[in-house]
Amino acid sequence: MALKSVETSSVRAPASAVDASERELLERIARSKDQAAFRTLYGSYYQRLSRLLSRMSVRREDIEEVINDTFWVVWTKAGEFRGASQLSTWIIGIAYRRALNALRRAKIRPVSDEPFDEESISVMSTDAAETDGQWLALGLARLPVEQRMALELTYTLGHSCEEVAAILDCPVNTVKTRLFRARETLKQVLPALAGMPGENS
Amino acid sequence: MSPRIPDTHAEAWAMLPWLANGRLPASDREWVEAHVAQCAGCRSELEAQRKIATHIHQDNVARDASSATGSDEQRSFNKLWARIEASEAAAPAGGAVADGSVPRISRTVRWLVAAVVVQGFGLALFGFNALRDDSGRFVTVAEAPTERLGAPAVRLVFAPAASMADINTLLTHQGLSIVSGPGSSGNFTAELSADAVASGASAASVAAVISKDPNVSFAQPVAR
Repeated sequence: MALKSVETSSVRAPASAVDASERELLERIARSKDQAAFRTLYGSYYQRLSRLLSRMSVRREDIEEVINDTFWVVWTKAGEFRGASQLSTWIIGIAYRRALNALRRAKIRPVSDEPFDEESISVMSTDAAETDGQWLALGLARLPVEQRMALELTYTLGHSCEEVAAILDCPVNTVKTRLFRARETLKQVLPALAGMPGENS
Repeated sequence: MSPRIPDTHAEAWAMLPWLANGRLPASDREWVEAHVAQCAGCRSELEAQRKIATHIHQDNVARDASSATGSDEQRSFNKLWARIEASEAAAPAGGAVADGSVPRISRTVRWLVAAVVVQGFGLALFGFNALRDDSGRFVTVAEAPTERLGAPAVRLVFAPAASMADINTLLTHQGLSIVSGPGSSGNFTAELSADAVASGASAASVAAVISKDPNVSFAQPVAR
Protein backbone atom coordinates (compact mmCIF):
# COMPACT_ATOMS: atom_id res chain seq x y z
CA MET A 1 0.00 0.00 0.00
CA ALA A 2 1.36 3.37 -0.92
CA LEU A 3 1.14 5.85 1.87
CA LYS A 4 -0.23 9.21 0.92
CA SER A 5 2.02 12.14 1.50
CA VAL A 6 2.11 12.82 5.19
CA GLU A 7 3.87 16.14 4.99
CA THR A 8 1.11 18.60 5.57
CA SER A 9 1.21 22.28 4.91
CA SER A 10 1.08 22.83 8.63
CA VAL A 11 4.49 21.27 9.11
CA ARG A 12 7.40 23.38 8.01
CA ALA A 13 10.60 21.53 7.27
CA PRO A 14 13.70 23.65 7.66
CA ALA A 15 14.99 24.34 4.17
CA SER A 16 18.69 24.16 3.45
CA ALA A 17 18.34 27.37 1.47
CA VAL A 18 17.05 29.14 4.55
CA ASP A 19 19.93 27.79 6.59
CA ALA A 20 22.46 28.95 4.00
CA SER A 21 20.91 32.40 3.96
CA GLU A 22 20.98 32.62 7.74
CA ARG A 23 24.59 31.43 7.85
CA GLU A 24 25.52 34.22 5.50
CA LEU A 25 23.93 36.69 7.92
CA LEU A 26 25.87 35.14 10.79
CA GLU A 27 29.12 35.43 8.85
CA ARG A 28 28.47 39.13 8.28
CA ILE A 29 27.88 39.55 12.01
CA ALA A 30 31.07 37.66 12.87
CA ARG A 31 33.17 39.40 10.21
CA SER A 32 32.08 43.01 10.49
CA LYS A 33 29.56 43.26 13.33
CA ASP A 34 26.95 44.03 10.69
CA GLN A 35 23.94 45.50 12.48
CA ALA A 36 21.62 45.12 9.49
CA ALA A 37 22.42 41.41 9.26
CA PHE A 38 21.89 41.07 13.00
CA ARG A 39 18.53 42.82 12.78
CA THR A 40 17.42 40.55 9.94
CA LEU A 41 18.44 37.41 11.79
CA TYR A 42 16.73 38.66 14.94
CA GLY A 43 13.53 39.28 12.99
CA SER A 44 13.52 35.82 11.46
CA TYR A 45 13.64 34.20 14.90
CA TYR A 46 11.61 36.57 17.05
CA GLN A 47 8.21 35.05 16.33
CA ARG A 48 9.48 31.47 16.43
CA LEU A 49 11.17 31.93 19.77
CA SER A 50 8.24 33.86 21.21
CA ARG A 51 5.96 30.97 20.39
CA LEU A 52 8.38 28.36 21.70
CA LEU A 53 9.00 30.19 24.95
CA SER A 54 5.31 30.69 25.40
CA ARG A 55 4.90 26.91 25.15
CA MET A 56 7.59 26.56 27.81
CA SER A 57 5.37 28.50 30.20
CA VAL A 58 7.59 31.54 30.07
CA ARG A 59 5.42 34.53 30.82
CA ARG A 60 4.88 36.95 28.02
CA GLU A 61 6.58 39.82 29.83
CA ASP A 62 9.69 37.66 30.35
CA ILE A 63 9.95 36.25 26.85
CA GLU A 64 11.70 39.34 25.52
CA GLU A 65 14.48 38.96 28.08
CA VAL A 66 15.17 35.36 27.08
CA ILE A 67 15.14 36.20 23.38
CA ASN A 68 17.52 39.10 23.92
CA ASP A 69 19.79 36.97 26.11
CA THR A 70 19.87 34.45 23.29
CA PHE A 71 20.74 37.01 20.66
CA TRP A 72 23.32 38.55 22.93
CA VAL A 73 25.09 35.19 22.69
CA VAL A 74 24.57 35.13 18.91
CA TRP A 75 26.15 38.60 18.65
CA THR A 76 29.14 37.81 20.86
CA LYS A 77 29.74 34.22 19.71
CA ALA A 78 28.89 34.46 16.01
CA GLY A 79 32.49 33.79 15.03
CA GLU A 80 32.59 30.60 17.04
CA PHE A 81 29.72 28.84 15.27
CA ARG A 82 31.41 25.99 13.41
CA GLY A 83 28.45 24.83 11.38
CA ALA A 84 28.33 21.31 12.78
CA SER A 85 24.57 21.70 13.03
CA GLN A 86 21.92 23.85 11.45
CA LEU A 87 22.05 27.45 12.60
CA SER A 88 18.46 27.17 13.80
CA THR A 89 19.44 24.22 16.00
CA TRP A 90 22.17 26.32 17.59
CA ILE A 91 20.02 29.39 18.19
CA ILE A 92 16.94 27.54 19.43
CA GLY A 93 19.16 25.41 21.67
CA ILE A 94 20.58 28.54 23.28
CA ALA A 95 17.09 29.92 23.82
CA TYR A 96 15.91 26.64 25.34
CA ARG A 97 18.77 26.53 27.85
CA ARG A 98 18.38 30.21 28.71
CA ALA A 99 14.68 29.65 29.34
CA LEU A 100 15.33 26.59 31.50
CA ASN A 101 17.87 28.51 33.55
CA ALA A 102 15.43 31.34 33.95
CA LEU A 103 12.70 28.98 35.06
CA ARG A 104 15.05 27.27 37.53
CA ARG A 105 16.13 30.56 38.99
CA ALA A 106 12.43 31.24 39.46
CA LYS A 107 12.94 34.64 37.98
CA ILE A 108 10.50 33.52 35.35
CA ARG A 109 7.47 31.84 36.76
CA PRO A 110 5.73 28.90 35.10
CA VAL A 111 2.17 29.65 34.09
CA SER A 112 1.23 25.96 33.88
CA ASP A 113 0.73 26.03 37.64
CA GLU A 114 -2.53 27.74 36.92
CA PRO A 115 -5.25 25.08 36.93
CA PHE A 116 -6.96 24.54 33.62
CA ASP A 117 -10.68 24.95 33.94
CA GLU A 118 -12.15 21.91 32.22
CA GLU A 119 -15.62 23.32 32.80
CA SER A 120 -14.75 26.13 30.42
CA ILE A 121 -14.64 23.66 27.54
CA SER A 122 -17.94 23.34 25.84
CA VAL A 123 -18.00 19.79 24.53
CA MET A 124 -21.34 20.57 22.94
CA SER A 125 -19.80 23.32 20.88
CA THR A 126 -20.63 23.10 17.23
CA ASP A 127 -17.26 24.59 16.42
CA ALA A 128 -15.17 21.41 16.45
CA ALA A 129 -11.91 23.21 15.73
CA GLU A 130 -12.42 25.54 18.66
CA THR A 131 -13.24 22.70 21.01
CA ASP A 132 -10.26 20.66 19.83
CA GLY A 133 -8.05 23.69 20.34
CA GLN A 134 -9.27 24.01 23.92
CA TRP A 135 -8.64 20.34 24.59
CA LEU A 136 -5.21 20.66 23.03
CA ALA A 137 -4.39 23.54 25.35
CA LEU A 138 -5.47 21.35 28.26
CA GLY A 139 -3.32 18.48 27.05
CA LEU A 140 -0.25 20.59 26.38
CA ALA A 141 -0.54 22.25 29.77
CA ARG A 142 -0.34 18.85 31.40
CA LEU A 143 2.91 17.90 29.68
CA PRO A 144 6.27 18.44 31.35
CA VAL A 145 8.28 21.17 29.65
CA GLU A 146 10.70 18.71 28.04
CA GLN A 147 7.87 16.75 26.41
CA ARG A 148 6.09 19.90 25.30
CA MET A 149 9.29 21.13 23.67
CA ALA A 150 9.91 17.86 21.86
CA LEU A 151 6.39 18.07 20.46
CA GLU A 152 6.67 21.72 19.50
CA LEU A 153 10.08 21.35 17.87
CA THR A 154 8.85 18.38 15.87
CA TYR A 155 5.44 19.57 14.77
CA THR A 156 5.69 23.34 14.61
CA LEU A 157 9.30 23.89 13.66
CA GLY A 158 9.59 20.64 11.69
CA HIS A 159 12.86 19.41 13.16
CA SER A 160 14.17 15.88 12.75
CA CYS A 161 14.63 13.64 15.77
CA GLU A 162 18.40 14.24 15.70
CA GLU A 163 17.92 18.02 15.57
CA VAL A 164 15.49 17.94 18.48
CA ALA A 165 18.06 15.93 20.45
CA ALA A 166 20.72 18.55 19.68
CA ILE A 167 18.47 21.41 20.75
CA LEU A 168 17.36 19.71 23.95
CA ASP A 169 20.90 18.43 24.55
CA CYS A 170 19.87 14.83 25.15
CA PRO A 171 20.20 11.44 23.40
CA VAL A 172 17.99 10.62 20.43
CA ASN A 173 16.29 7.82 22.36
CA THR A 174 15.37 10.27 25.09
CA VAL A 175 13.60 12.42 22.51
CA LYS A 176 11.66 9.41 21.28
CA THR A 177 10.69 8.51 24.82
CA ARG A 178 9.57 12.05 25.63
CA LEU A 179 7.49 12.25 22.49
CA PHE A 180 6.04 8.79 23.10
CA ARG A 181 4.87 9.85 26.56
CA ALA A 182 3.57 13.16 25.26
CA ARG A 183 1.55 11.35 22.63
CA GLU A 184 0.04 9.03 25.21
CA THR A 185 -0.95 11.95 27.44
CA LEU A 186 -2.49 13.91 24.59
CA LYS A 187 -4.49 10.92 23.46
CA GLN A 188 -5.99 10.62 26.91
CA VAL A 189 -6.99 14.27 26.80
CA LEU A 190 -8.05 14.85 23.22
CA PRO A 191 -11.41 13.14 22.79
CA ALA A 192 -11.20 12.99 19.02
CA LEU A 193 -7.90 11.16 19.19
CA ALA A 194 -8.84 8.91 22.07
CA GLY A 195 -11.40 7.17 19.92
CA MET A 196 -9.20 6.77 16.89
CA PRO A 197 -7.01 3.66 17.45
CA GLY A 198 -8.30 0.68 15.58
CA GLU A 199 -10.96 2.52 13.68
CA ASN A 200 -9.03 2.37 10.44
CA SER A 201 -7.96 -1.23 10.77
CA MET B 1 22.30 -0.78 -0.31
CA SER B 2 19.75 -3.17 1.14
CA PRO B 3 16.88 -1.59 3.02
CA ARG B 4 16.86 -1.91 6.76
CA ILE B 5 14.58 -4.62 8.06
CA PRO B 6 11.99 -3.35 10.53
CA ASP B 7 13.04 -4.29 14.02
CA THR B 8 9.86 -4.09 15.99
CA HIS B 9 6.45 -2.50 15.92
CA ALA B 10 7.53 -0.43 18.91
CA GLU B 11 10.48 1.06 17.01
CA ALA B 12 8.32 2.05 14.07
CA TRP B 13 5.71 3.45 16.46
CA ALA B 14 8.35 5.68 18.08
CA MET B 15 9.32 7.13 14.70
CA LEU B 16 5.82 8.06 13.54
CA PRO B 17 6.09 11.75 14.53
CA TRP B 18 8.93 12.22 12.06
CA LEU B 19 7.11 10.26 9.39
CA ALA B 20 4.26 12.70 10.00
CA ASN B 21 6.46 15.80 9.72
CA GLY B 22 8.42 14.52 6.73
CA ARG B 23 11.81 14.55 8.50
CA LEU B 24 12.47 10.84 8.76
CA PRO B 25 15.78 9.95 7.03
CA ALA B 26 15.29 8.04 3.80
CA SER B 27 16.96 4.96 5.22
CA ASP B 28 14.43 4.72 8.04
CA ARG B 29 11.49 6.02 6.06
CA GLU B 30 11.57 3.04 3.77
CA TRP B 31 11.08 0.40 6.41
CA VAL B 32 8.81 2.47 8.63
CA GLU B 33 6.47 3.09 5.70
CA ALA B 34 6.56 -0.59 4.87
CA HIS B 35 5.56 -1.43 8.42
CA VAL B 36 2.82 1.19 8.55
CA ALA B 37 1.38 -0.15 5.32
CA GLN B 38 0.68 -3.47 7.01
CA CYS B 39 -0.09 -2.26 10.55
CA ALA B 40 -3.54 -0.82 11.22
CA GLY B 41 -2.50 0.44 14.63
CA CYS B 42 0.39 2.46 13.21
CA ARG B 43 -1.78 3.87 10.42
CA SER B 44 -4.29 5.02 12.98
CA GLU B 45 -1.55 6.49 15.17
CA LEU B 46 -0.07 8.28 12.17
CA GLU B 47 -3.44 9.91 11.52
CA ALA B 48 -3.64 10.90 15.18
CA GLN B 49 -0.21 12.52 15.03
CA ARG B 50 -1.13 14.45 11.93
CA LYS B 51 -4.20 15.74 13.74
CA ILE B 52 -2.11 16.85 16.69
CA ALA B 53 0.32 18.61 14.35
CA THR B 54 -2.57 20.41 12.69
CA HIS B 55 -4.07 21.42 16.03
CA ILE B 56 -0.77 22.78 17.28
CA HIS B 57 -0.27 24.72 14.06
CA GLN B 58 -3.76 26.24 14.26
CA ASP B 59 -3.24 27.12 17.90
CA ASN B 60 0.05 28.82 17.04
CA VAL B 61 -1.58 30.83 14.29
CA ALA B 62 -4.18 32.04 16.78
CA ARG B 63 -1.48 32.87 19.33
CA ASP B 64 0.58 34.73 16.74
CA ALA B 65 -2.42 36.81 15.77
CA SER B 66 -3.02 37.89 19.34
CA SER B 67 0.51 38.27 20.62
CA ALA B 68 3.68 39.80 19.26
CA THR B 69 3.50 42.54 16.68
CA GLY B 70 6.09 44.15 14.48
CA SER B 71 6.38 47.07 16.85
CA ASP B 72 6.96 44.66 19.77
CA GLU B 73 9.77 43.11 17.81
CA GLN B 74 11.35 46.46 16.96
CA ARG B 75 11.07 47.64 20.53
CA SER B 76 12.71 44.45 21.79
CA PHE B 77 15.51 44.78 19.29
CA ASN B 78 16.09 48.40 20.24
CA LYS B 79 16.50 47.34 23.86
CA LEU B 80 18.97 44.64 22.93
CA TRP B 81 20.92 47.02 20.72
CA ALA B 82 21.09 49.63 23.45
CA ARG B 83 22.42 46.92 25.76
CA ILE B 84 25.05 45.88 23.24
CA GLU B 85 26.15 49.45 22.72
CA ALA B 86 26.32 50.10 26.44
CA SER B 87 28.39 46.96 26.93
CA GLU B 88 30.76 47.70 24.06
CA ALA B 89 31.18 51.27 25.21
CA ALA B 90 32.11 49.95 28.64
CA ALA B 91 34.58 47.41 27.24
CA PRO B 92 35.73 48.76 23.89
CA ALA B 93 38.75 46.50 23.62
CA GLY B 94 37.12 43.20 24.45
CA GLY B 95 33.43 43.61 23.89
CA ALA B 96 32.25 40.08 24.47
CA VAL B 97 32.58 38.32 27.75
CA ALA B 98 35.24 35.68 27.45
CA ASP B 99 33.10 32.73 28.51
CA GLY B 100 30.20 33.78 26.37
CA SER B 101 27.91 34.16 29.34
CA VAL B 102 25.36 36.88 29.26
CA PRO B 103 26.63 39.76 31.33
CA ARG B 104 23.90 40.74 33.74
CA ILE B 105 23.93 44.47 33.78
CA SER B 106 23.69 45.38 37.41
CA ARG B 107 20.87 47.52 38.65
CA THR B 108 23.40 50.23 39.42
CA VAL B 109 24.80 50.21 35.91
CA ARG B 110 21.31 50.27 34.44
CA TRP B 111 20.51 53.28 36.55
CA LEU B 112 23.73 54.93 35.47
CA VAL B 113 22.95 54.30 31.82
CA ALA B 114 19.47 55.70 32.34
CA ALA B 115 20.95 58.67 34.16
CA VAL B 116 23.33 59.36 31.27
CA VAL B 117 20.45 59.28 28.82
CA VAL B 118 18.37 61.59 30.98
CA GLN B 119 21.36 63.84 31.41
CA GLY B 120 21.77 63.97 27.65
CA PHE B 121 18.22 65.09 27.29
CA GLY B 122 18.70 67.58 30.06
CA LEU B 123 21.69 69.05 28.36
CA ALA B 124 19.79 69.25 25.09
CA LEU B 125 16.96 71.04 26.82
CA PHE B 126 19.48 73.25 28.60
CA GLY B 127 20.89 74.10 25.21
CA PHE B 128 17.40 74.89 24.09
CA ASN B 129 16.93 77.22 27.05
CA ALA B 130 20.12 78.92 26.01
CA LEU B 131 18.38 79.77 22.77
CA ARG B 132 16.12 82.25 24.44
CA ASP B 133 16.52 85.66 22.94
CA ASP B 134 17.27 88.73 25.01
CA SER B 135 13.65 89.22 25.90
CA GLY B 136 13.50 85.78 27.44
CA ARG B 137 11.15 84.55 24.72
CA PHE B 138 11.65 80.95 23.61
CA VAL B 139 12.69 80.30 20.06
CA THR B 140 10.04 77.78 19.07
CA VAL B 141 10.48 75.00 16.61
CA ALA B 142 8.00 76.68 14.35
CA GLU B 143 10.57 79.35 13.75
CA ALA B 144 13.71 78.92 11.74
CA PRO B 145 16.44 77.54 13.96
CA THR B 146 19.19 79.98 14.59
CA GLU B 147 21.80 77.65 15.95
CA ARG B 148 24.37 75.83 13.79
CA LEU B 149 23.06 77.45 10.68
CA GLY B 150 23.00 75.26 7.63
CA ALA B 151 23.06 71.92 9.44
CA PRO B 152 20.41 69.56 8.05
CA ALA B 153 17.69 68.91 10.57
CA VAL B 154 14.46 66.99 11.00
CA ARG B 155 11.39 67.75 13.02
CA LEU B 156 9.94 64.73 14.76
CA VAL B 157 7.44 63.55 17.33
CA PHE B 158 8.21 60.42 19.34
CA ALA B 159 5.61 57.70 19.84
CA PRO B 160 3.95 57.84 23.27
CA ALA B 161 5.26 54.40 24.19
CA ALA B 162 8.86 55.10 23.14
CA SER B 163 11.27 54.69 26.04
CA MET B 164 14.35 56.79 26.69
CA ALA B 165 16.48 53.85 25.58
CA ASP B 166 14.50 53.57 22.34
CA ILE B 167 14.93 57.27 21.65
CA ASN B 168 18.60 57.23 22.51
CA THR B 169 19.22 54.27 20.20
CA LEU B 170 17.28 55.86 17.38
CA LEU B 171 19.10 59.19 17.64
CA THR B 172 22.50 57.55 17.92
CA HIS B 173 21.99 55.34 14.90
CA GLN B 174 20.90 58.21 12.73
CA GLY B 175 23.56 60.62 13.92
CA LEU B 176 20.97 63.00 15.29
CA SER B 177 21.21 65.45 18.18
CA ILE B 178 18.16 67.17 19.57
CA VAL B 179 18.61 70.93 19.41
CA SER B 180 15.17 72.06 20.42
CA GLY B 181 11.88 70.86 21.78
CA PRO B 182 9.53 69.74 22.95
CA GLY B 183 7.18 72.10 21.21
CA SER B 184 3.55 72.56 22.11
CA SER B 185 2.65 69.43 20.18
CA GLY B 186 5.53 67.40 21.56
CA ASN B 187 7.73 67.97 18.54
CA PHE B 188 11.52 68.14 18.64
CA THR B 189 14.08 69.39 16.16
CA ALA B 190 17.19 67.27 15.71
CA GLU B 191 20.27 68.07 13.64
CA LEU B 192 22.37 65.62 11.69
CA SER B 193 25.94 65.24 12.82
CA ALA B 194 28.77 66.21 10.48
CA ASP B 195 29.70 62.53 10.19
CA ALA B 196 26.20 61.58 9.12
CA VAL B 197 26.21 64.30 6.48
CA ALA B 198 29.64 63.22 5.28
CA SER B 199 28.36 59.67 4.85
CA GLY B 200 25.66 60.89 2.50
CA ALA B 201 22.72 61.29 4.85
CA SER B 202 20.34 64.17 4.29
CA ALA B 203 17.45 65.58 6.26
CA ALA B 204 15.03 64.05 3.75
CA SER B 205 16.61 60.60 3.80
CA VAL B 206 16.80 60.47 7.58
CA ALA B 207 13.23 61.70 7.94
CA ALA B 208 12.08 59.02 5.53
CA VAL B 209 13.85 56.32 7.54
CA ILE B 210 12.80 57.35 11.02
CA SER B 211 9.21 58.00 10.00
CA LYS B 212 8.92 54.23 9.58
CA ASP B 213 10.33 53.55 13.03
CA PRO B 214 7.62 52.52 15.52
CA ASN B 215 9.15 54.86 18.09
CA VAL B 216 8.42 57.84 15.88
CA SER B 217 4.93 59.15 15.20
CA PHE B 218 5.93 61.87 12.78
CA ALA B 219 9.07 63.07 11.03
CA GLN B 220 9.82 65.55 8.28
CA PRO B 221 12.87 67.46 7.07
CA VAL B 222 13.24 71.04 8.23
CA ALA B 223 13.58 73.55 5.44
CA ARG B 224 16.60 75.76 6.08
